[in-house]
Amino acid sequence: MVTQTSLNYVPVVVAAIVSGTVLSLLFILAAVVAPKRRTMISAIPYESGIPPKGSTWKQINLRYYLFAVFFLVFDIEAVFLFPWALTYLGIGAIAFFEMVIFLGILFLGLVYAWKKGVLKWT
Amino acid sequence: MIDFMPNLNHFLTLSAILFTIGLFGALTKRNLIVILMSVEIMLNGINIALVAFANYTIVAISGHVFALFVITVAAAEVAIGLALIIAVFRTRDTIDLRNINLLKW
Amino acid sequence: MINDVNLNYLSPEIAMVALAIIIILGDLVIKNRQLLTLITFAGLLVPVMLTINLWGTTGESFNGALVVDQFALFFKFLVMFAVFIVILSSQDYLHRFTRYTGEYYGLILLSAAGMMLVAGTRELISMYLALELTTFSIVALAAFLKTKESTESAIKYLVLSAVTSAVMLYGIVLVFGLTGSTHFHGIAEWIGNSNVSSTSLILDSGTLGDGAIGFIGFLFILAGFGFKVATVPFHMWVPDVYEGAPTPITAYLSVASKAAGFAILLRVLYEVFQPIQPDWQLLIAVLAVISMFTGNLLAIVQSNIKRLLGYSTIAHAGYILIGVTVGNTLGQSGVLFYLAVYTITNLGAFASVIVISNLTNSEKTSDFIGIGRVAIFPAIVLTIALISLTGAPPTAGFIGKVYLFNAAVQSDYTWLAIVGVVNSVISAYYYWKVIRIMYQSSGASTDTSGDPNGNRVSASMNISLGIALVGILILGIAPDWILGFVENAVAIVQTTYPTA
Repeated sequence: MVTQTSLNYVPVVVAAIVSGTVLSLLFILAAVVAPKRRTMISAIPYESGIPPKGSTWKQINLRYYLFAVFFLVFDIEAVFLFPWALTYLGIGAIAFFEMVIFLGILFLGLVYAWKKGVLKWT
Repeated sequence: MIDFMPNLNHFLTLSAILFTIGLFGALTKRNLIVILMSVEIMLNGINIALVAFANYTIVAISGHVFALFVITVAAAEVAIGLALIIAVFRTRDTIDLRNINLLKW
Repeated sequence: MINDVNLNYLSPEIAMVALAIIIILGDLVIKNRQLLTLITFAGLLVPVMLTINLWGTTGESFNGALVVDQFALFFKFLVMFAVFIVILSSQDYLHRFTRYTGEYYGLILLSAAGMMLVAGTRELISMYLALELTTFSIVALAAFLKTKESTESAIKYLVLSAVTSAVMLYGIVLVFGLTGSTHFHGIAEWIGNSNVSSTSLILDSGTLGDGAIGFIGFLFILAGFGFKVATVPFHMWVPDVYEGAPTPITAYLSVASKAAGFAILLRVLYEVFQPIQPDWQLLIAVLAVISMFTGNLLAIVQSNIKRLLGYSTIAHAGYILIGVTVGNTLGQSGVLFYLAVYTITNLGAFASVIVISNLTNSEKTSDFIGIGRVAIFPAIVLTIALISLTGAPPTAGFIGKVYLFNAAVQSDYTWLAIVGVVNSVISAYYYWKVIRIMYQSSGASTDTSGDPNGNRVSASMNISLGIALVGILILGIAPDWILGFVENAVAIVQTTYPTA
């Protein structure tokens, strides 16, 4: 075994044991000490001490989903930029133009979404 | 000191465990979003195996590249899946697979 | 290595994708749907021309990831032909989603590009990507009607294909990890050198040997292909998706997707896993038998025509697997020829189903009563197509089946040929039932003159019906020219790329 690169897991194990013990102790403590009485107040979800307003089952506007999907797709496509950035100096001009074409196609996708009006918020 | 050096087998075991968890979830869960999440777990398990193979064998690069492609494909899959789930929800107000049963036999 | 980029070899696919982008963007500015359709047809000529331009060349590019040979070109033509007929016969269907015409054409073209790449790849990464491109486009297309059935079929297809392709990917990774290569020739070389076989599955130490890991990977990959070509253990999606999807898309899915699946199946089996052929040959044969029986027996009880044709495609995947099992030149060219026959026949069948169900406003076979007198031409085409699917002379299906079964008999797989013949007889029963219903004298009740929308059969619809009819008959009466093509195609695969 190469000791230079070997990972030392002792701190991790210690941390896991300590945090596990502390957490379970806290839970046990809470179960023993906490009052068992259920009142209306204790059933309310805790929102930083402020009494909650309205229902928590609020409907979220469907437009968020479209933005989320756009973000997801364009964000993930950027993954190809990383290997490209590492290698394009070695490959030369063709790599640059390939990436331009790739980004161009992505841009056309954006144009499509734009023209379809999905980026408008009204 | 615990002298522990993770080798290929550890990664492959992790990958197989993740893949199995994902497969189990995809086959048994009834909520479409949970199923999509399970598929993602499967693909991520595969990615671990890919990168591990690429790291521990001589031909490094194709495994890494493959992993990147798998990530993108997974993202595309989720995008289409979410769009379809919305479409399904609009037509029948549920995304529970037990209620999506118009087509059979 | 980096300079190994020959865009000429990739030109049909590039043209296809470019056309798709142009159509999708053109949809934003062009309000005239007819014009958009015309642009699609005109643009489709470009990839066709580029493919013709490549005809006869053999070579590799992209470091071996892309291959151009007669085999790939044959499938590219087949896919483009299917696209042409599908778009032609979509014309009477498009009024259901006029707003999305551009996207509809664009997605069809994109998935066609995926299928063309599938046929021409010899590398696992690009194979996976091409298959996913195909699937995702078709998933979106299946949901186009936005009805309950349509979205349901799409989500079923997406979930099942996502799970299966993840399994296939795991198999790919196992094979990659074992052999250290994603290229077909690299894997084949490794298999040839390593002398793995089913006997070395378990090592003496009791652990799994390389052979076992490789075989598990092989089985997983086979599962992915089985899903694409709809053989039995992976056929559950077929009837549901076929019923729910828009009919032209069902037609497209049943021919082009299946052709691409068989292309890559043949290539992987015979370029990569040739050395362990004895290990999987029987497995494929068993898949063929259960596919034939399941498809044909379940088709008998169907009342929806699309569902019936769906089960019939499962059975046809079984017939084609006979040729895959046999695998020599005769068997492989049988597969290619049968795929050509099956493509044109099924396209004809689905085109006439579009016309007829527009007329009757129903996809139930029982509502087709007396349609043979109302819609004379579509009924004739459907009749001929169903006869061809049965495999009776003088249609193309007869030659295709004779060719396949002959290949089986020549290679001592007589029992497979017998199973095939028995199944053809079973299938004759339910195909004949549809034909008989169409020509029954209708009871006075189901009158078809009501729907003004359906009664107009557009010219393009008639053209696609005519092409299908002529194609079925020509392939049935004078199949020599295309037989020459396919024999040439598989001969080139076998001689230029001998497996290690």
